[in-house]
Amino acid sequence: MHHLELDDWSRKDSFLHRRDARAKILGLICFLLSVALTPNCAAPYLWVFGAVPLAALLVARIPLARAFVLSAAVLPFAAVFGLASLAAGGHLRAIAVAEKSFLSALGAVALIATTPLPKLTQGFLWLGAPKFLVLVIQFLYRYLYVISEQAQHMRLAAASRGSRLGSRFRMYRLRAASGALAVLFSKSYLRAEAIHHSMLSRLFSGRFGLMDAASPTLPDYTTLVLLVLINLLLNRFIVLISQCRL
Amino acid sequence: MMLAPAAASAAAIGLASRRAQARTEESRAPMLGIMGAFVFAAQMVNFPVGAGTTGHLLGAALMAITLGPSAAMVVMTAILIIQALIFQDGGVLALGANVFNMAVAGVGAAWLPYRLLGGGRMRDAGVFLAGFLSVLVTAALALGELAASGTAVPRPLAVLSLGLFSVNGLLEGLITLGVVKALGRMNAAWVARPERLNSRTAAVLLGSAVALATAGLLAASAAPDTLESLAQQMGIADRGRPLFETPFSDYAAAFIRGRWLSQAAAGLFGTALAFLLIYVAAKVRSRRKGA
Repeated sequence: MHHLELDDWSRKDSFLHRRDARAKILGLICFLLSVALTPNCAAPYLWVFGAVPLAALLVARIPLARAFVLSAAVLPFAAVFGLASLAAGGHLRAIAVAEKSFLSALGAVALIATTPLPKLTQGFLWLGAPKFLVLVIQFLYRYLYVISEQAQHMRLAAASRGSRLGSRFRMYRLRAASGALAVLFSKSYLRAEAIHHSMLSRLFSGRFGLMDAASPTLPDYTTLVLLVLINLLLNRFIVLISQCRL
Repeated sequence: MMLAPAAASAAAIGLASRRAQARTEESRAPMLGIMGAFVFAAQMVNFPVGAGTTGHLLGAALMAITLGPSAAMVVMTAILIIQALIFQDGGVLALGANVFNMAVAGVGAAWLPYRLLGGGRMRDAGVFLAGFLSVLVTAALALGELAASGTAVPRPLAVLSLGLFSVNGLLEGLITLGVVKALGRMNAAWVARPERLNSRTAAVLLGSAVALATAGLLAASAAPDTLESLAQQMGIADRGRPLFETPFSDYAAAFIRGRWLSQAAAGLFGTALAFLLIYVAAKVRSRRKGA
């Protein structure tokens, strides 16, 4: 349950934890753009960008090894595109895809590990994300593991009744899986309705009681400006030493 | 390359969110969130694909059928954002493209056949096609984006990928159909049939089909297809003679210069002709039923 780990990390206290979510989101966007817009032929030097999330994780006192493991989850996905690039004869491109994916994941982990979800979603709202989408994200995150655990219980119950994945009767398995999904859907829907009614009875109007965002302070502005400058400089530096262009 | 789909996704999801909000009470947003959690959990239920491998539901079609297209787009986007930010699944850099492929185009491709066929006797076909097309369109777009980003995927690899995605699409269609049928038995309101199409909606759907057909033709490969290739290999490609020539032979309008423009015109003509034939057949059938 690594989301609990991320939750715990996000509630720590450090210079980065105290920064405004908006500054951190904009900083991450700048980091992502700098990484993405660096030409693929600069693949041997892309790792230099890792200094930014690494410094953020160190300042926030986040366990580095765990943060790296969590970020590595993106690699199987990147591998598919990397292999396609390799098959097309672009080995530098394949390496760049893997590096860029890992770096962007590390940046995202640094943001999530230093910003509690309510503040993060408030930051998204400030940046113009649709309110309805943000509400759905908040509830999805809140009930993700409740429903997932229900699915796991159902799997366990099915296994206890002798259901086997290697069944020779594939159509039967397919029908059984459809039935299980329909039951899970109905349980989720009924639970959603119960939660909806209980929230209405507590006068939920469809808005979360988010605290008003405090105005960004000088350290927030300074952090953002520093992040923008560092990322731009790194981008230029890498392009210069690799001697390649977009 | 990552910016174009991200911008398109932002615009589409902004619209879908506004539409979903207008159609759904704001206080019901929790329900959509929990249904998103259901799709997450549903992806844990595996089913056999063959050769010792298993697949799982993607859920775009199921969401479109049970929640409607706008709400389904918002829920799929929320799922993809959580997956990218919390689980690093798919990656943050690919988020814009993933939202476009799965939440916008995937849900749209699922909704189109369900909206067209779901209200009548061909409901089951509509549900199956919704699942099948949601996977296939998503996969085709991903391959197209890869090509547009400068990675020329070798033809055999592209064909193999599309073949595998087609099998996945078939299974998605079958399992979506199974779930929708089971849900219908539990509570018919969860999988309400779409209303009969009015002329305005039909025009929008037709427009979408025409746009897709045109885009497909514009993007079509200039290489010969499988049968043509086989005929060339056997040396019989030039032996056949057409019985009569039409102005649209070889998928190109003979009276228009320029390959793309003439192919687009042929595509538009073909789509319009197919629509006309289906319309006439439907009219004849409904008159016979009325009599």
